[in-house]
Amino acid sequence: MDVELTEILEALCQHAPFNEIAEDPQLNDMSKEIEVQYVRAGEWVIAPSTLNNTLYFIRSGAIEVLNKEEKLIRRMNEGELFGYASLLRGGNSSQSMRTIEDSLLYCIPARWFRKLYEENDNFSDFFELTREARLRTAMVSQSSDVSLMTCPVVSLLRRPPISTPMDSNIRLAAQIMSENRISSLLITDKNELIGIVTDQDLRTRAVANGLAYDTPVADIMTRDPIVMDSLDFASEAVLKMMSRNIHHIPIMKAGRPIGVINLGDIVQKESHGSVYLISDILKQNDIQGLQAISHKMTHTFNQLVVADANTQMIGNAMSHIGITFVKRLLQLAEEKFGPAPVPYCFITLGSQAREEQTIKTDQDNAMILSDEYDEQQHGEYFNKLSDWVCHNLDLCGYALCTGDIMASNPRWRQPLKVWKENFSDWIKKPKAETLLHLSIFFDLRGIYGDNALAKQLNQHIRQEAKQHPRFLSHMARNTSQRKPPLGFFRQFVLDGEGKQSRTFNLKERGISPIIDIVRVHALACGSDRLNTLERLKDIEAAGLLPAGRAKDLALALEMIGLVRIRSQKDQIEAGEEPTNHVNPENLSSFEKRHLRDAFQIVARQQEFIKFRYA
Amino acid sequence: MSHQTKDDIQDWQIMFAEWAEEAPEGPLKRYYQAGIVAPNTALKDTPLLALDLETTGLDPSKDEIISLGLIPLNHKTIRCQGAKYWMAKPERALNSESVTIHEITHTELAEAPTLEAILDDILLAMAKQVVVVHCVAIERQFLLNAAMEIYGYPFYFPVLDTMDIERQATFKPWWKRFGRAPSLRLDACRQRYHLPRYKAHHALTDALSSAELLQAQIAYHLDPNADISNYWL
Repeated sequence: MDVELTEILEALCQHAPFNEIAEDPQLNDMSKEIEVQYVRAGEWVIAPSTLNNTLYFIRSGAIEVLNKEEKLIRRMNEGELFGYASLLRGGNSSQSMRTIEDSLLYCIPARWFRKLYEENDNFSDFFELTREARLRTAMVSQSSDVSLMTCPVVSLLRRPPISTPMDSNIRLAAQIMSENRISSLLITDKNELIGIVTDQDLRTRAVANGLAYDTPVADIMTRDPIVMDSLDFASEAVLKMMSRNIHHIPIMKAGRPIGVINLGDIVQKESHGSVYLISDILKQNDIQGLQAISHKMTHTFNQLVVADANTQMIGNAMSHIGITFVKRLLQLAEEKFGPAPVPYCFITLGSQAREEQTIKTDQDNAMILSDEYDEQQHGEYFNKLSDWVCHNLDLCGYALCTGDIMASNPRWRQPLKVWKENFSDWIKKPKAETLLHLSIFFDLRGIYGDNALAKQLNQHIRQEAKQHPRFLSHMARNTSQRKPPLGFFRQFVLDGEGKQSRTFNLKERGISPIIDIVRVHALACGSDRLNTLERLKDIEAAGLLPAGRAKDLALALEMIGLVRIRSQKDQIEAGEEPTNHVNPENLSSFEKRHLRDAFQIVARQQEFIKFRYA
Repeated sequence: MSHQTKDDIQDWQIMFAEWAEEAPEGPLKRYYQAGIVAPNTALKDTPLLALDLETTGLDPSKDEIISLGLIPLNHKTIRCQGAKYWMAKPERALNSESVTIHEITHTELAEAPTLEAILDDILLAMAKQVVVVHCVAIERQFLLNAAMEIYGYPFYFPVLDTMDIERQATFKPWWKRFGRAPSLRLDACRQRYHLPRYKAHHALTDALSSAELLQAQIAYHLDPNADISNYWL
């Protein structure tokens, strides 16, 4: 009679890679050769410097993996496999394994491991994927194929472009547009794209100004419009529309327009209104109106999450919405208090400057004044202006900064030369303690007024930082202030499920450490980027990190960020205040496994950066 | 665990030799002739065989064995490779209640051989092994009855009873007892050692279950170097 150890087979097939190869008839044969061992907590399974000839499956219990120095590398629990690394190396084990709970282990003979490894691709794939690759594969499988993130703009085009030569008059242009039921018209000169005319242009630039019908269309068109390549992602089109407040983008292929996408195309594809929200903000004439819009923010955020947007896209959308609030408030403030007596630049700091803002955020801002600024003469104006803007930002949901890093604080409202001195001081005489509180000043973006002031300041920072290794080394050391919660995962393993309602802070222990690490490298290579992913590209190009490490950090950031936004969405839907905390009990096993991988990447990079700038 | 004095030692080796003489020619005689380990064999050197029976009911005098699972082990390792499983067609009709418990269908049993046809093989597999069961009374009595019926001679075998081991391990004198006595059911015992939950009532799974329980008990309570005579019943 055929003996089938159903209990063992079923347990194996609940976990990767066996669930992938459940149909393989060899699995049943293999299960018959399994040996079962009960090992009490604290005993070696693979003792240091011993040969291993077994693939272990943790049926129950937990194991810790130690390196040669007996330092903890990671912990594994039910359903995980170990011992394969040494089997792939002919039995030599660089790591040792010890039980941390009473464990029941299934011991699979090495010959079965080798046989399946050679004969079954699904099986071998599992072991060939490194931790980073595992994370990458997981991220790809997370986004659905039809989302904005993965579809190129060309797939949104519905018809060939319609154009008219630049010497056509505006009446003809309007006729072409209404015949074809289009809201924009491309303008060409000898078949080259030179401009675009939209419904709005006809309204505001032609009719409202009482232009004659025979005015050439070139007079009212937008010259050299922003265009995109046909293979760019639709998500980038959304970002462009938001950051530039435009609703039509010609799509180019090999230098020729092949169509135009408009906001409607995007909204049809993914019904989120973040682009509309931005134009709405700019239309408001009072605080009540702005406040009303701010209440829609959570809805927009949730829609983005549901639409499978990645954290980069959500961060971008949230930041530009936030920046637009500031812009509109400053416009209103200038109407109220009159135009500024000297040029100034309103700057945003931290996540908004990096375009990585999330739903719940404080305001972090400051002001650079022109060097013509005179306290006596102009002080009161800027005092009133900043107070009013910061106060109303608070009313629109951007809470006052608890550390008082706001333009309303005179300390952070200074002429350019004072700012430069401040930065020189911080960089030349670095104090770790002080820098800890100042790191957000190194993510600085001009958002309103004379942006050249912000540009000059950023240039100054880049030049100074690169030349002062002691500054970099202090900043590097500070990145290890907050450790990823690896110990937490141990706790999780040890205490089993259901016993605790502990949470951990994803921002403080995962996201911020990555951002801090990337900022230091970015300063070291003189990158002028603010966004963490863009900084990583510069860092990679500069060769500051070993090959592939920049990508790992990007993936880790995305993974942790994704868990955060999903958890925030759930909190909002449950009627709670969104926070940066997650309760591990609410995480799927997918999320747990990959969060752990991500945190391990962070921990390793924290170690690395200390040596890099020591 | 209490240690026995020399006179108390239950010497299965001597008894096996006697029964080998007396037993009628056939599989049972050969089983006794194969012998058993000496009582001073260390637990860690003793070949063990976890056994579980499923029956039509709980009364050995009228209920019958319908399946039997075996799985070999030693103090550290359970070897699936030696696992064996039989189904046996009962002489009397099966009531529907026990069918639902065992998840064995009438059809499966109708096609199975009778116990008489497979008992020879079972005895062969059990030769020289010390048997591991959870609750010795049931397994031993059912096999004894079956042997009496088929061979007309009693069938005895040495046993490590995981239920008895657990009873002693959890024993507390009356003045230390508090609340209800701990449950000695297989599943409850396993949980005490953080062993996973299994679906009960499949003879082979239950054999595996008690094999794992014994390993856990050895890890916690028994001395692998001690003589088997300290533990066998």
